[in-house]
Amino acid sequence: MSSKKDIIICRCQDITLEQVEQAIDNGITHPEQLKRFLHIGMGPCQGRTCGQLVTRILARKTGKSPAVIKPTSTRPPLISVPIKELWDREDE
Amino acid sequence: MNKNFDAIIIGGGIIGTATGYYLSQKGLKVVLLEKDFLTAGSTGRCITGIRQQFSTPTSIKTAMESVAIFKTLDEEFDFDIEWASSGYMFLAYDEEKVKLFKKNIQIQRQFGLKVNFLTPEECKKVVPLLNIKDLLGGVWCASDGQANPFLVVKGFSEGIEKNGGKILINTKVENINTKNNKVQSVSTYGGETFSAPVVVNAAGPWAREIGKMVNLKLPVEPERHEALITEAVAYQRIPMLVDYRADGGYFVQRVTGQFIGCYTPETLIPGKNTNSTLEFLREMSRRMSRIVPALENVAVLRQWAGSYCMTPDGNPIIGKTEIEGFYCAVGMCGHGFMLGPALGKFLAQYITDKSWPFNLDEFAYGRSFGEREKMV
Repeated sequence: MSSKKDIIICRCQDITLEQVEQAIDNGITHPEQLKRFLHIGMGPCQGRTCGQLVTRILARKTGKSPAVIKPTSTRPPLISVPIKELWDREDE
Repeated sequence: MNKNFDAIIIGGGIIGTATGYYLSQKGLKVVLLEKDFLTAGSTGRCITGIRQQFSTPTSIKTAMESVAIFKTLDEEFDFDIEWASSGYMFLAYDEEKVKLFKKNIQIQRQFGLKVNFLTPEECKKVVPLLNIKDLLGGVWCASDGQANPFLVVKGFSEGIEKNGGKILINTKVENINTKNNKVQSVSTYGGETFSAPVVVNAAGPWAREIGKMVNLKLPVEPERHEALITEAVAYQRIPMLVDYRADGGYFVQRVTGQFIGCYTPETLIPGKNTNSTLEFLREMSRRMSRIVPALENVAVLRQWAGSYCMTPDGNPIIGKTEIEGFYCAVGMCGHGFMLGPALGKFLAQYITDKSWPFNLDEFAYGRSFGEREKMV
Protein backbone atom coordinates (compact mmCIF):
# COMPACT_ATOMS: atom_id res chain seq x y z
CA MET A 1 0.00 0.00 0.00
CA SER A 2 1.30 3.44 -0.84
CA SER A 3 2.36 5.80 1.88
CA LYS A 4 -0.08 8.42 3.13
CA LYS A 5 2.51 10.94 2.07
CA ASP A 6 1.96 9.92 -1.55
CA ILE A 7 -1.83 10.08 -1.55
CA ILE A 8 -3.03 13.47 -2.73
CA ILE A 9 -6.43 14.45 -1.36
CA CYS A 10 -6.57 17.99 -2.78
CA ARG A 11 -4.97 18.12 -6.21
CA CYS A 12 -5.28 21.87 -6.59
CA GLN A 13 -3.33 22.66 -3.45
CA ASP A 14 -1.23 19.47 -3.19
CA ILE A 15 -2.57 18.41 0.20
CA THR A 16 -1.81 14.82 1.14
CA LEU A 17 -3.74 12.29 3.20
CA GLU A 18 -0.97 12.49 5.77
CA GLN A 19 -1.44 16.26 6.16
CA VAL A 20 -5.21 15.94 6.53
CA GLU A 21 -4.91 13.17 9.11
CA GLN A 22 -2.24 15.05 11.01
CA ALA A 23 -4.40 18.15 11.19
CA ILE A 24 -7.33 16.11 12.49
CA ASP A 25 -5.04 14.44 15.03
CA ASN A 26 -4.03 17.94 16.12
CA GLY A 27 -7.65 18.65 16.93
CA ILE A 28 -8.88 20.40 13.79
CA THR A 29 -12.13 18.55 13.25
CA HIS A 30 -14.32 21.37 11.95
CA PRO A 31 -14.53 21.07 8.12
CA GLU A 32 -14.42 24.87 7.66
CA GLN A 33 -11.38 25.05 9.93
CA LEU A 34 -9.58 22.29 8.00
CA LYS A 35 -10.33 24.15 4.79
CA ARG A 36 -8.83 27.39 6.08
CA PHE A 37 -5.81 26.05 7.93
CA LEU A 38 -4.82 23.57 5.19
CA HIS A 39 -6.23 25.51 2.20
CA ILE A 40 -7.85 22.29 1.16
CA GLY A 41 -10.60 22.88 -1.38
CA MET A 42 -9.57 26.47 -2.07
CA GLY A 43 -7.99 25.92 -5.48
CA PRO A 44 -9.45 25.88 -9.00
CA CYS A 45 -11.90 23.00 -8.38
CA GLN A 46 -13.24 24.65 -5.20
CA GLY A 47 -13.38 21.35 -3.32
CA ARG A 48 -15.40 19.36 -5.79
CA THR A 49 -13.32 16.23 -5.29
CA CYS A 50 -11.55 16.74 -2.01
CA GLY A 51 -14.65 17.98 -0.20
CA GLN A 52 -16.20 14.54 -0.22
CA LEU A 53 -12.89 12.88 0.59
CA VAL A 54 -12.38 15.16 3.58
CA THR A 55 -15.88 14.31 4.85
CA ARG A 56 -15.02 10.61 4.67
CA ILE A 57 -11.66 11.02 6.36
CA LEU A 58 -13.25 13.12 9.10
CA ALA A 59 -15.99 10.52 9.57
CA ARG A 60 -13.46 7.71 9.81
CA LYS A 61 -11.14 9.56 12.18
CA THR A 62 -13.81 10.98 14.48
CA GLY A 63 -16.23 8.07 14.43
CA LYS A 64 -19.06 10.34 13.26
CA SER A 65 -21.50 9.51 10.51
CA PRO A 66 -20.64 11.34 7.26
CA ALA A 67 -24.27 12.49 7.27
CA VAL A 68 -23.70 14.78 10.26
CA ILE A 69 -20.48 16.36 8.90
CA LYS A 70 -21.56 19.60 7.31
CA PRO A 71 -19.87 20.34 3.98
CA THR A 72 -18.07 23.68 3.66
CA SER A 73 -19.91 26.65 2.14
CA THR A 74 -20.23 26.68 -1.62
CA ARG A 75 -19.55 30.10 -3.07
CA PRO A 76 -20.13 31.64 -6.45
CA PRO A 77 -19.13 31.48 -9.22
CA LEU A 78 -19.86 27.76 -9.49
CA ILE A 79 -17.15 27.38 -12.10
CA SER A 80 -14.21 29.73 -12.45
CA VAL A 81 -14.78 32.50 -15.00
CA PRO A 82 -12.10 34.59 -16.73
CA ILE A 83 -12.32 38.25 -15.80
CA LYS A 84 -12.84 39.33 -19.41
CA GLU A 85 -16.04 37.25 -19.55
CA LEU A 86 -17.45 39.05 -16.53
CA TRP A 87 -17.89 42.51 -17.91
CA ASP A 88 -18.85 43.94 -21.23
CA ARG A 89 -16.24 46.19 -22.75
CA GLU A 90 -18.98 47.94 -24.73
CA ASP A 91 -19.97 49.55 -21.44
CA GLU A 92 -16.63 51.30 -21.06
CA MET B 1 -12.06 20.72 33.05
CA ASN B 2 -11.21 23.31 35.66
CA LYS B 3 -13.20 26.36 34.68
CA ASN B 4 -11.23 29.00 36.53
CA PHE B 5 -9.06 31.12 34.31
CA ASP B 6 -7.10 34.36 34.48
CA ALA B 7 -8.67 35.71 31.30
CA ILE B 8 -11.58 34.85 29.03
CA ILE B 9 -11.35 35.97 25.41
CA ILE B 10 -14.56 36.17 23.39
CA GLY B 11 -13.86 35.78 19.68
CA GLY B 12 -11.53 33.61 17.61
CA GLY B 13 -10.26 36.06 15.02
CA ILE B 14 -6.97 37.89 14.84
CA ILE B 15 -7.78 40.20 17.77
CA GLY B 16 -8.88 37.44 20.13
CA THR B 17 -6.09 35.02 19.30
CA ALA B 18 -3.34 37.67 19.34
CA THR B 19 -4.54 39.13 22.65
CA GLY B 20 -4.87 35.64 24.12
CA TYR B 21 -1.44 34.69 22.86
CA TYR B 22 0.34 37.64 24.44
CA LEU B 23 -1.62 37.24 27.69
CA SER B 24 -0.68 33.56 27.83
CA GLN B 25 2.95 34.52 27.20
CA LYS B 26 2.78 36.66 30.30
CA GLY B 27 1.75 33.58 32.27
CA LEU B 28 -2.01 34.11 32.34
CA LYS B 29 -4.24 31.08 32.00
CA VAL B 30 -6.41 31.94 29.02
CA VAL B 31 -9.58 30.43 27.62
CA LEU B 32 -10.79 31.61 24.22
CA LEU B 33 -14.47 31.13 23.36
CA GLU B 34 -15.43 31.15 19.69
CA LYS B 35 -19.05 30.66 18.71
CA ASP B 36 -18.25 29.13 15.32
CA PHE B 37 -14.68 28.27 14.23
CA LEU B 38 -11.43 30.24 14.22
CA THR B 39 -11.37 33.01 11.53
CA ALA B 40 -15.12 32.59 10.88
CA GLY B 41 -15.82 36.31 11.36
CA SER B 42 -14.03 39.21 9.72
CA THR B 43 -10.43 37.97 9.87
CA GLY B 44 -10.95 35.03 7.53
CA ARG B 45 -12.79 37.26 5.06
CA CYS B 46 -10.18 39.98 4.71
CA ILE B 47 -8.00 40.47 1.67
CA THR B 48 -4.68 39.96 3.53
CA GLY B 49 -3.23 43.48 3.19
CA ILE B 50 -1.02 45.01 5.86
CA ARG B 51 -0.24 48.69 5.57
CA GLN B 52 1.41 51.39 7.64
CA GLN B 53 0.19 54.28 5.50
CA PHE B 54 -2.35 55.82 7.82
CA SER B 55 -2.97 59.48 8.50
CA THR B 56 -2.87 59.73 12.29
CA PRO B 57 0.11 59.13 14.62
CA THR B 58 -1.56 56.40 16.71
CA SER B 59 -2.58 54.36 13.67
CA ILE B 60 0.80 54.79 11.99
CA LYS B 61 2.73 53.75 15.11
CA THR B 62 0.43 50.80 15.76
CA ALA B 63 0.68 49.62 12.16
CA MET B 64 4.47 49.94 12.14
CA GLU B 65 4.63 47.82 15.31
CA SER B 66 2.33 45.28 13.65
CA VAL B 67 4.60 45.00 10.63
CA ALA B 68 7.57 44.50 12.95
CA ILE B 69 5.67 41.63 14.62
CA PHE B 70 4.48 40.05 11.34
CA LYS B 71 8.12 39.84 10.26
CA THR B 72 8.98 37.69 13.29
CA LEU B 73 6.00 35.32 13.20
CA ASP B 74 7.52 32.70 10.86
CA GLU B 75 10.21 32.10 13.40
CA GLU B 76 7.90 32.41 16.38
CA PHE B 77 5.37 29.88 15.02
CA ASP B 78 7.92 27.73 13.21
CA PHE B 79 5.96 27.81 9.94
CA ASP B 80 5.50 30.18 7.02
CA ILE B 81 2.67 32.70 7.52
CA GLU B 82 3.20 33.97 3.95
CA TRP B 83 4.39 37.39 5.07
CA ALA B 84 5.83 39.42 2.21
CA SER B 85 6.92 43.04 2.00
CA SER B 86 5.01 43.40 -1.23
CA GLY B 87 4.13 47.05 -0.66
CA TYR B 88 1.07 49.28 -1.01
CA MET B 89 0.56 51.80 -3.78
CA PHE B 90 -2.19 54.41 -3.40
CA LEU B 91 -3.18 55.70 -6.82
CA ALA B 92 -4.17 59.34 -7.35
CA TYR B 93 -6.50 60.22 -10.22
CA ASP B 94 -7.34 63.79 -9.16
CA GLU B 95 -5.48 66.77 -7.71
CA GLU B 96 -7.31 66.55 -4.42
CA LYS B 97 -5.95 63.05 -3.78
CA VAL B 98 -2.45 64.15 -4.82
CA LYS B 99 -2.63 66.88 -2.19
CA LEU B 100 -4.05 64.58 0.49
CA PHE B 101 -1.49 61.84 -0.17
CA LYS B 102 1.40 64.33 -0.05
CA LYS B 103 0.10 65.70 3.23
CA ASN B 104 -0.18 62.20 4.70
CA ILE B 105 3.38 61.40 3.59
CA GLN B 106 4.64 64.28 5.74
CA ILE B 107 2.90 62.83 8.80
CA GLN B 108 4.03 59.27 8.04
CA ARG B 109 7.65 60.29 7.57
CA GLN B 110 7.75 61.81 11.06
CA PHE B 111 7.60 58.25 12.35
CA GLY B 112 10.35 56.99 10.09
CA LEU B 113 8.13 55.37 7.48
CA LYS B 114 9.78 55.24 4.06
CA VAL B 115 7.09 56.41 1.70
CA ASN B 116 7.36 58.33 -1.58
CA PHE B 117 5.15 60.08 -4.08
CA LEU B 118 5.89 58.69 -7.54
CA THR B 119 5.08 59.99 -11.01
CA PRO B 120 2.97 57.69 -13.20
CA GLU B 121 6.15 56.59 -15.02
CA GLU B 122 7.83 55.78 -11.72
CA CYS B 123 4.72 53.85 -10.62
CA LYS B 124 5.02 51.82 -13.82
CA LYS B 125 8.62 51.00 -12.97
CA VAL B 126 7.48 49.51 -9.66
CA VAL B 127 4.47 47.76 -11.22
CA PRO B 128 5.19 47.12 -14.92
CA LEU B 129 1.69 45.72 -15.50
CA LEU B 130 0.01 48.91 -14.22
CA ASN B 131 -2.18 50.89 -16.63
CA ILE B 132 -1.20 54.53 -16.04
CA LYS B 133 -3.96 56.09 -18.15
CA ASP B 134 -5.53 59.02 -16.21
CA LEU B 135 -3.06 58.45 -13.34
CA LEU B 136 -1.53 61.55 -11.75
CA GLY B 137 0.82 59.66 -9.46
CA GLY B 138 0.96 57.22 -6.61
CA VAL B 139 2.22 56.85 -3.09
CA TRP B 140 4.54 53.91 -2.65
CA CYS B 141 5.49 52.24 0.59
CA ALA B 142 7.65 49.18 -0.06
CA SER B 143 7.60 47.98 3.55
CA ASP B 144 3.83 47.48 3.65
CA GLY B 145 2.86 43.93 2.91
CA GLN B 146 0.61 40.92 3.18
CA ALA B 147 0.26 37.70 5.14
CA ASN B 148 -2.12 34.78 5.36
CA PRO B 149 -4.82 35.49 7.99
CA PHE B 150 -5.69 31.81 8.45
CA LEU B 151 -2.10 30.87 9.18
CA VAL B 152 -1.49 33.82 11.49
CA VAL B 153 -4.56 32.89 13.56
CA LYS B 154 -3.47 29.25 13.50
CA GLY B 155 -0.09 30.26 14.92
CA PHE B 156 -1.51 32.49 17.65
CA SER B 157 -4.11 29.91 18.69
CA GLU B 158 -1.59 27.07 18.80
CA GLY B 159 0.61 29.37 20.88
CA ILE B 160 -2.19 29.87 23.40
CA GLU B 161 -2.53 26.09 23.76
CA LYS B 162 1.23 25.62 24.06
CA ASN B 163 1.23 28.18 26.86
CA GLY B 164 -1.38 26.19 28.74
CA GLY B 165 -4.51 27.97 27.52
CA LYS B 166 -7.66 26.56 25.96
CA ILE B 167 -9.38 27.25 22.64
CA LEU B 168 -13.04 26.28 22.51
CA ILE B 169 -14.81 26.49 19.15
CA ASN B 170 -18.57 25.98 18.68
CA THR B 171 -18.90 27.73 22.02
CA LYS B 172 -21.33 30.64 22.02
CA VAL B 173 -21.44 33.06 24.90
CA GLU B 174 -24.90 33.56 26.40
CA ASN B 175 -24.18 35.79 29.36
CA ILE B 176 -21.48 37.71 31.13
CA ASN B 177 -22.01 37.75 34.86
CA THR B 178 -20.99 40.76 36.91
CA LYS B 179 -21.09 41.58 40.62
CA ASN B 180 -20.61 45.09 42.01
CA ASN B 181 -19.72 46.32 38.52
CA LYS B 182 -16.98 43.71 38.17
CA VAL B 183 -16.85 40.76 35.77
CA GLN B 184 -17.11 37.38 37.45
CA SER B 185 -17.78 34.76 34.82
CA VAL B 186 -19.06 33.96 31.34
CA SER B 187 -21.74 31.38 30.64
CA THR B 188 -22.31 29.69 27.32
CA TYR B 189 -25.28 28.26 25.45
CA GLY B 190 -23.72 24.86 26.06
CA GLY B 191 -24.47 25.36 29.75
CA GLU B 192 -20.89 25.89 30.87
CA THR B 193 -19.61 28.70 33.07
CA PHE B 194 -16.04 30.00 33.01
CA SER B 195 -14.74 32.26 35.74
CA ALA B 196 -12.06 34.93 35.36
CA PRO B 197 -11.38 38.45 36.58
CA VAL B 198 -10.68 39.54 32.98
CA VAL B 199 -13.02 39.28 29.98
CA VAL B 200 -11.96 40.58 26.56
CA ASN B 201 -14.58 41.42 23.95
CA ALA B 202 -12.93 40.57 20.63
CA ALA B 203 -16.15 39.55 18.92
CA GLY B 204 -15.75 41.60 15.73
CA PRO B 205 -19.15 41.94 14.03
CA TRP B 206 -20.84 40.66 17.20
CA ALA B 207 -19.04 43.08 19.53
CA ARG B 208 -22.16 45.14 20.20
CA GLU B 209 -24.15 42.09 21.31
CA ILE B 210 -21.34 41.09 23.68
CA GLY B 211 -21.21 44.66 25.04
CA LYS B 212 -24.95 44.56 25.72
CA MET B 213 -24.40 41.61 28.05
CA VAL B 214 -22.74 44.01 30.48
CA ASN B 215 -25.09 46.88 29.58
CA LEU B 216 -22.54 48.75 27.49
CA LYS B 217 -23.56 50.46 24.28
CA LEU B 218 -20.61 50.03 21.94
CA PRO B 219 -20.73 52.33 18.90
CA VAL B 220 -19.78 49.58 16.45
CA GLU B 221 -21.73 48.88 13.31
CA PRO B 222 -20.85 46.05 10.92
CA GLU B 223 -21.02 46.81 7.20
CA ARG B 224 -20.91 44.36 4.35
CA HIS B 225 -17.87 44.40 2.08
CA GLU B 226 -17.61 41.91 -0.75
CA ALA B 227 -14.41 40.32 -2.00
CA LEU B 228 -13.17 37.89 -4.60
CA ILE B 229 -10.12 35.77 -5.36
CA THR B 230 -8.75 34.52 -8.68
CA GLU B 231 -6.85 31.42 -9.65
CA ALA B 232 -3.12 31.45 -8.89
CA VAL B 233 -0.84 32.62 -11.68
CA ALA B 234 2.90 33.34 -11.82
CA TYR B 235 3.86 35.85 -9.13
CA GLN B 236 4.25 39.28 -10.72
CA ARG B 237 4.87 41.20 -7.50
CA ILE B 238 1.69 43.26 -7.85
CA PRO B 239 1.48 45.22 -4.58
CA MET B 240 -1.79 46.24 -2.98
CA LEU B 241 -3.13 48.79 -5.44
CA VAL B 242 -5.55 51.21 -3.84
CA ASP B 243 -7.86 53.18 -6.11
CA TYR B 244 -10.07 55.64 -4.22
CA ARG B 245 -12.15 56.75 -7.18
CA ALA B 246 -15.91 56.35 -6.67
CA ASP B 247 -15.69 53.20 -8.77
CA GLY B 248 -12.28 52.16 -7.46
CA GLY B 249 -11.20 49.27 -5.29
CA TYR B 250 -8.15 47.58 -3.89
CA PHE B 251 -6.44 44.33 -4.75
CA VAL B 252 -3.12 42.57 -4.36
CA GLN B 253 -1.42 39.52 -5.74
CA ARG B 254 -0.87 36.98 -3.00
CA VAL B 255 2.65 35.57 -2.82
CA THR B 256 0.92 32.29 -3.63
CA GLY B 257 -0.20 33.74 -6.99
CA GLN B 258 -3.90 34.56 -6.54
CA PHE B 259 -5.31 38.07 -6.92
CA ILE B 260 -7.57 39.03 -4.05
CA GLY B 261 -9.55 42.24 -3.86
CA CYS B 262 -12.58 44.18 -2.79
CA TYR B 263 -14.19 47.60 -2.98
CA THR B 264 -16.20 49.79 -0.65
CA PRO B 265 -19.80 49.89 -1.88
CA GLU B 266 -21.10 53.35 -2.77
CA THR B 267 -24.15 52.85 -0.60
CA LEU B 268 -23.05 51.28 2.66
CA ILE B 269 -24.80 48.07 3.59
CA PRO B 270 -25.12 47.86 7.37
CA GLY B 271 -25.61 44.54 9.14
CA LYS B 272 -23.99 41.14 9.24
CA ASN B 273 -25.28 39.98 5.86
CA THR B 274 -22.42 38.21 4.08
CA ASN B 275 -24.17 37.29 0.84
CA SER B 276 -22.37 37.92 -2.41
CA THR B 277 -23.75 39.57 -5.51
CA LEU B 278 -23.31 39.23 -9.25
CA GLU B 279 -23.00 43.01 -9.43
CA PHE B 280 -19.84 42.89 -7.32
CA LEU B 281 -18.35 40.04 -9.35
CA ARG B 282 -18.82 41.98 -12.58
CA GLU B 283 -17.85 45.38 -11.23
CA MET B 284 -14.75 44.16 -9.42
CA SER B 285 -13.64 42.34 -12.58
CA ARG B 286 -14.01 45.56 -14.54
CA ARG B 287 -12.23 47.68 -11.96
CA MET B 288 -9.31 45.27 -11.53
CA SER B 289 -8.67 44.80 -15.22
CA ARG B 290 -8.92 48.55 -15.79
CA ILE B 291 -5.92 49.03 -13.51
CA VAL B 292 -4.04 45.87 -14.51
CA PRO B 293 -5.29 44.94 -18.02
CA ALA B 294 -3.31 41.68 -18.03
CA LEU B 295 -5.81 40.37 -15.48
CA GLU B 296 -8.51 39.92 -18.10
CA ASN B 297 -7.32 36.38 -18.80
CA VAL B 298 -7.20 35.34 -15.16
CA ALA B 299 -10.21 33.43 -13.84
CA VAL B 300 -12.16 34.31 -10.72
CA LEU B 301 -12.47 31.31 -8.41
CA ARG B 302 -14.59 32.48 -5.54
CA GLN B 303 -16.42 35.46 -4.09
CA TRP B 304 -17.67 36.12 -0.56
CA ALA B 305 -18.37 38.97 1.82
CA GLY B 306 -17.33 40.00 5.29
CA SER B 307 -17.94 42.75 7.80
CA TYR B 308 -16.07 45.96 8.33
CA CYS B 309 -16.88 46.79 11.95
CA MET B 310 -17.16 50.56 11.82
CA THR B 311 -16.91 53.11 14.62
CA PRO B 312 -18.04 56.73 14.14
CA ASP B 313 -14.46 58.01 13.65
CA GLY B 314 -12.92 55.07 11.80
CA ASN B 315 -10.59 54.13 14.65
CA PRO B 316 -10.73 50.98 16.78
CA ILE B 317 -11.93 50.93 20.38
CA ILE B 318 -9.45 49.27 22.67
CA GLY B 319 -8.96 49.17 26.42
CA LYS B 320 -10.86 49.18 29.67
CA THR B 321 -14.49 50.11 30.20
CA GLU B 322 -16.55 51.22 33.19
CA ILE B 323 -17.10 47.55 34.05
CA GLU B 324 -14.06 46.42 36.00
CA GLY B 325 -12.27 43.57 34.21
CA PHE B 326 -14.23 44.00 30.97
CA TYR B 327 -11.96 45.06 28.11
CA CYS B 328 -12.79 45.85 24.50
CA ALA B 329 -10.82 45.34 21.32
CA VAL B 330 -13.54 46.08 18.81
CA GLY B 331 -14.52 48.26 15.85
CA MET B 332 -11.48 47.55 13.71
CA CYS B 333 -13.01 49.35 10.70
CA GLY B 334 -11.50 46.93 8.20
CA HIS B 335 -8.01 47.07 9.73
CA GLY B 336 -8.26 44.21 12.22
CA PHE B 337 -5.89 41.82 10.52
CA MET B 338 -3.20 44.41 9.85
CA LEU B 339 -3.37 46.04 13.29
CA GLY B 340 -4.24 42.87 15.23
CA PRO B 341 -0.82 41.58 16.27
CA ALA B 342 0.19 44.99 17.67
CA LEU B 343 -3.16 45.71 19.31
CA GLY B 344 -3.19 42.23 20.86
CA LYS B 345 0.27 42.81 22.27
CA PHE B 346 -0.62 46.31 23.53
CA LEU B 347 -3.84 45.14 25.19
CA ALA B 348 -2.10 42.19 26.87
CA GLN B 349 0.45 44.63 28.28
CA TYR B 350 -2.31 46.97 29.39
CA ILE B 351 -4.25 44.19 31.13
CA THR B 352 -1.23 42.86 33.00
CA ASP B 353 0.87 46.00 33.59
CA LYS B 354 -1.80 48.75 33.34
CA SER B 355 0.28 50.67 30.82
CA TRP B 356 0.25 51.27 27.08
CA PRO B 357 3.52 51.34 25.08
CA PHE B 358 2.53 54.87 23.95
CA ASN B 359 -0.49 57.11 24.22
CA LEU B 360 -3.50 55.30 22.75
CA ASP B 361 -6.17 57.85 23.73
CA GLU B 362 -7.18 58.04 20.08
CA PHE B 363 -8.44 54.43 20.40
CA ALA B 364 -9.85 54.73 23.93
CA TYR B 365 -13.27 53.47 24.90
CA GLY B 366 -15.47 56.41 25.90
CA ARG B 367 -13.65 58.99 23.73
CA SER B 368 -15.74 61.56 21.95
CA PHE B 369 -16.11 60.69 18.30
CA GLY B 370 -15.05 63.25 15.74
CA GLU B 371 -14.61 62.89 12.03
CA ARG B 372 -13.93 59.62 10.26
CA GLU B 373 -10.33 59.03 9.21
CA LYS B 374 -9.71 60.34 5.70
CA MET B 375 -7.91 57.28 4.37
CA VAL B 376 -10.41 54.51 4.91
